[in-house]
Amino acid sequence: MKKEIKKILVANRGVPAVRVMITCRDRKIPSVAVYSTPDRLAHHVFMADEAIHIGDAPPLESYLNMEKVIEAAKICGADALHPGWGFLAENPDFAQMVMDAGLVWIGPPPSVIRTMGDKIEAKRLAKRANVPTIPGIEKVDDIKKIKRWIREEQITYPIMIKAAAGGGGKGMVKVNSEDELKTALSQAMSEARKSFGDDTVLVEKYIERGRHIEVQIVADEFDNVVHLHERECTIQRRNQKIIEEAPSPTLDENLREEICFTAVRLMREIGYRSAGTVEFLFDADTRKFYFLEVNTRLQVEHGITELITGLDIVSVMLDIAMGKPLPFKQPQIHPNRWALEVRLNAEDPKNFSPSFGRITRLQLPHGPNVRLSIGVNEGDVIPPYYDSLFMLLMTAGTNRLDAIRVMDRALGRGLRIEGIKTIQPLLLSIIRHPKFIAGEFSTRFIEEHMDELISMFRERDSDEEVLKIGKFVAEISALGPRDWM
Amino acid sequence: MKIRSQKKKGIIQKEPSPEYIYVRPGMSPSEIVKKVRTLDGVGITSTGMRDAGQSDYKNRHRIFDLRTLAPYYNRMGLFSAECHGGARWHVGIMNRKESPFEEIEILREEMPNVLLQTLIRETNLWGYRPYPKNVIEYVVERVDIDVWRCFSFLNDIRNMRAVAEVVMKRGRLFEPAISFTQADWATNEYYLGVVDEIVSLCGGVDEIILCIKDMAGVGSPERIRSLIDAIKQKYPDMVIQYHRHSTDGLAMPALLAAAEAGAKLLDAQEDSLTRFYGQAPILALQAYLEEAGVRVHLNREATEGAVQKVREWIGFYEWAESPFRGFDHNVTKHRMPGGAFPSSFEQAEKGGFLHLMPDILKVMSLYNQIVKYFDVTPGSQITWVTCSGMVNKYAKEHGKTGVNNLIRLLDKFVVEKKQNFSRMTKKEQEELLQLFRTAPGDFKNLLLGGYGKLPVGWPDNWVYQSAFGEEWKEKIKERKELSPLDSLKDEDLEAQRNDLSEKIGRPPTEEEFILYLMHPKDALEYINFKEKYGETPLVIPTNIWREGLKKPGDVVEFELWGKPYSIELVSIGDEHEGLIHVVLRINNRTIVYTVETPRLKKAEIRMAKAPNEIGAPISGNIWRIGNPERGTIHVGDIVHKGEEIANLEAMKMENAIIAPFDARIKEICVKLNDSVVEGQLLFVLENL
Repeated sequence: MKKEIKKILVANRGVPAVRVMITCRDRKIPSVAVYSTPDRLAHHVFMADEAIHIGDAPPLESYLNMEKVIEAAKICGADALHPGWGFLAENPDFAQMVMDAGLVWIGPPPSVIRTMGDKIEAKRLAKRANVPTIPGIEKVDDIKKIKRWIREEQITYPIMIKAAAGGGGKGMVKVNSEDELKTALSQAMSEARKSFGDDTVLVEKYIERGRHIEVQIVADEFDNVVHLHERECTIQRRNQKIIEEAPSPTLDENLREEICFTAVRLMREIGYRSAGTVEFLFDADTRKFYFLEVNTRLQVEHGITELITGLDIVSVMLDIAMGKPLPFKQPQIHPNRWALEVRLNAEDPKNFSPSFGRITRLQLPHGPNVRLSIGVNEGDVIPPYYDSLFMLLMTAGTNRLDAIRVMDRALGRGLRIEGIKTIQPLLLSIIRHPKFIAGEFSTRFIEEHMDELISMFRERDSDEEVLKIGKFVAEISALGPRDWM
Repeated sequence: MKIRSQKKKGIIQKEPSPEYIYVRPGMSPSEIVKKVRTLDGVGITSTGMRDAGQSDYKNRHRIFDLRTLAPYYNRMGLFSAECHGGARWHVGIMNRKESPFEEIEILREEMPNVLLQTLIRETNLWGYRPYPKNVIEYVVERVDIDVWRCFSFLNDIRNMRAVAEVVMKRGRLFEPAISFTQADWATNEYYLGVVDEIVSLCGGVDEIILCIKDMAGVGSPERIRSLIDAIKQKYPDMVIQYHRHSTDGLAMPALLAAAEAGAKLLDAQEDSLTRFYGQAPILALQAYLEEAGVRVHLNREATEGAVQKVREWIGFYEWAESPFRGFDHNVTKHRMPGGAFPSSFEQAEKGGFLHLMPDILKVMSLYNQIVKYFDVTPGSQITWVTCSGMVNKYAKEHGKTGVNNLIRLLDKFVVEKKQNFSRMTKKEQEELLQLFRTAPGDFKNLLLGGYGKLPVGWPDNWVYQSAFGEEWKEKIKERKELSPLDSLKDEDLEAQRNDLSEKIGRPPTEEEFILYLMHPKDALEYINFKEKYGETPLVIPTNIWREGLKKPGDVVEFELWGKPYSIELVSIGDEHEGLIHVVLRINNRTIVYTVETPRLKKAEIRMAKAPNEIGAPISGNIWRIGNPERGTIHVGDIVHKGEEIANLEAMKMENAIIAPFDARIKEICVKLNDSVVEGQLLFVLENL
């Protein structure tokens, strides 16, 4: 069924909101931003053609408040809504409310979101579609059940407790020994409740030194399911990805084909629509992959797939939402680049402690094969209420080393951020690390090499150094000779 | 107005005239000694980069300015440049925020022909206390200096062993110094005994240069002539260097007498640097000696260049000059060394007792007859703190009359009664027995042999009674005759390194670690300063360093790592609630700096320090105090090891705060929903 989209409300902020609005501009479709009180002067507000204030700082009063978001869409006369990622993107009730309000939901059907959002249900479906899954138990609410499972299945620690409704590393707790079990379970349940409004958790065997590989899928309502190849997102800290690349350096051609078509099979089986991702955990030792979850939304790292395929996935999502068939078939997808993405989080690179404050300077990298996805402007304040991600930096090359070389240039010599701490030095250390360059890493790479990575931080740069001199000159000029002199 | 920094690229590097260069880095000690022995005339050590600045400018001369002399030094035909050691090291990290390692690196590059010289205080190195042998060896091995002038304030040659061994093993030149003073007990025989010990320590005279260190500037010309003559008669091949301050006003004739008696090396400084307490003016010295028939090996043209260069920047240091100006022939009595003059007067000024200085100097001149050693670091500090403390105490208790009484008492005891304690009245004896009771710990440590043997024996028993009270007899029994090299236990260097690592949150560099070994507190402040202000001390001209930019439009230009920069003052705002906004234009970018004034009231954040204090693991928001099972936790509650006592949320991630042991909650230092920073104190626990 063809639907016309004339105005899109983007129910998000920061990087995802700006990303979606860029495609809206490309497609000459006006976009509407929503914003919370502290975001009044935020970048996404000015990227949009209109902006509507929806509430105060806490997410529940603004970006997570379904009624207010839909009210905003009605006020401005939008006929479609894109949720971005995070916030309400994987909330089936919200998707349903959007549709009930007569708006086009730019995403998968609510029923699919609901099924895949329930990790237990998702795993069951995966098994049914013959997709390998990790050994585990479901619907855990006390530790006795976990202990029994460990005994009966002869599982060895560590294990992982996950929010059934979760994603993005929230509500996930690794348990190394029985002593930690009690606290870990209550933490996982509480985080699950807080992040997803549902404290159901499941428990799985933790695959040590696993690699995280996922397949990008797009599917239309004419049962065309096409994969856009895989991405590898193994470099993580606290279960959150910080470096992604496409294609995966781990897979050979046979495995690549197998994993991509497994993903297609699963998505076809569940009746997927729009853009989505099937995530796998790859055990490098046994060379087996296991189903992890389906992300029923646009993903943060979709940009690297765009770089290797030349597509605009948000634009494809719009086409699908408008009821058009996919403009390509599987044989027409020919990735011919290697792409790398790093996530710039406003965090202390040594301990990941969040760093709020004003970005006093933002100098961006330029040159061939660099792409940026930015949620802020110079002078903006990073507020403490939301995600710490404020920028994505992507680079491409004819092969992996080429892409790394460009990233080294962009991250090491081009990007300059002042006023807040960011993980930029850590990212640079990682992409310069011989093990990373050799493609030898696991999801534990950062924790295993943290000291070494930190020791690689100190890069001297005169433009940065001169600010310290300026600080001194400012102080002496204002205060006069100091006592200690 | 434009304030230009000197740019090193602007200086024309002339090739050094080879006929003037007779020693250079890389030569072996015996080669150097041979060259000096056969030199036609006397050679010169310039103290312009160290002792000159220490003696008249409190060591405040910055390497930024001193390095401008390097191209001249490179051509002057000097024996060496004293550019390191003494108090320059400590003042460098404390006041100038310069590392002695950076300084050597710069000078090596800019005057590769010149031997770099340090001044080292045997076991007390570049600090003020005896360091154990392993620390001394570790540090000396890692400092790139060619000539190691080493003195002992006790002339306790045993204390030099560790430094001598490492320096000689490295193939660098060891220059043992005898501390010189003029007193009835300081005879030629006494000094010859010291020289014998030096010769025996160093295995002869062929690989060393002997220095006579007249640090106060008290040697009369004939006294010096006689001493050098006596040494030359006993050791004809010994190369002797005479180091002398100018304080008594007699430096020139004394230096001539030294040269005529056979000293081959003399210390001098730029004429334009000369004030009162440093070394003799170099051009004048050359002229004076040559008129008397002693050739001085020096490229006069290059030297004139250096003297002229000094005038470009010496005006920036007026504030650092000693408040006590002019020669002081009384130095022959109070013996305050040239290097300690400005700093002592600075302390007196800061402490508000500048008016008591004449009395303190008088007390010093009597004190040094009771406890006999050489007034040079750390001895001079011990003398200074002991005597100024004594005078201040009397002044506080009884005013000027009290001070006069103190001087009368000491004068009667020392001069009239020839230090015969029993000839003093009962009341005077009682007063003397209280005199050293409040003396500093270093003084007491000196009496107990902590620094080594005193040069002509321990002081009389009443001094111990006065310092230690009833325990004095036991204290004398504890007194050590050993050198600190043999009595001090080695330090655990790895533990120290870890300690520093922890304090600065990263592994220190080798240089930072050595600074920390010498001066832990000041090294930490220095490292923090560098983290905050980076290369500022090396690139900013001295007037800006001290005063900043004065009015809008003022510009400072400099080079940083090979690139040009300019900083222009746009405006300085008014102070508001302790903050001032300063707008600068750095190259073409406008930047606002918020400067905190001393009046800023800071909300004090308590940080967790002790093991029973629980800090926030990361910055975030305390959204729960207690845990879901037991609910909110209150003061007085008992918590168990492993139990969650609070939860902190940051960027939507939860972090459980766990009780590390069974405990009672003594204090809860945050409220629900407080934002906390990493390390902020959350709970104080009490052991059960």
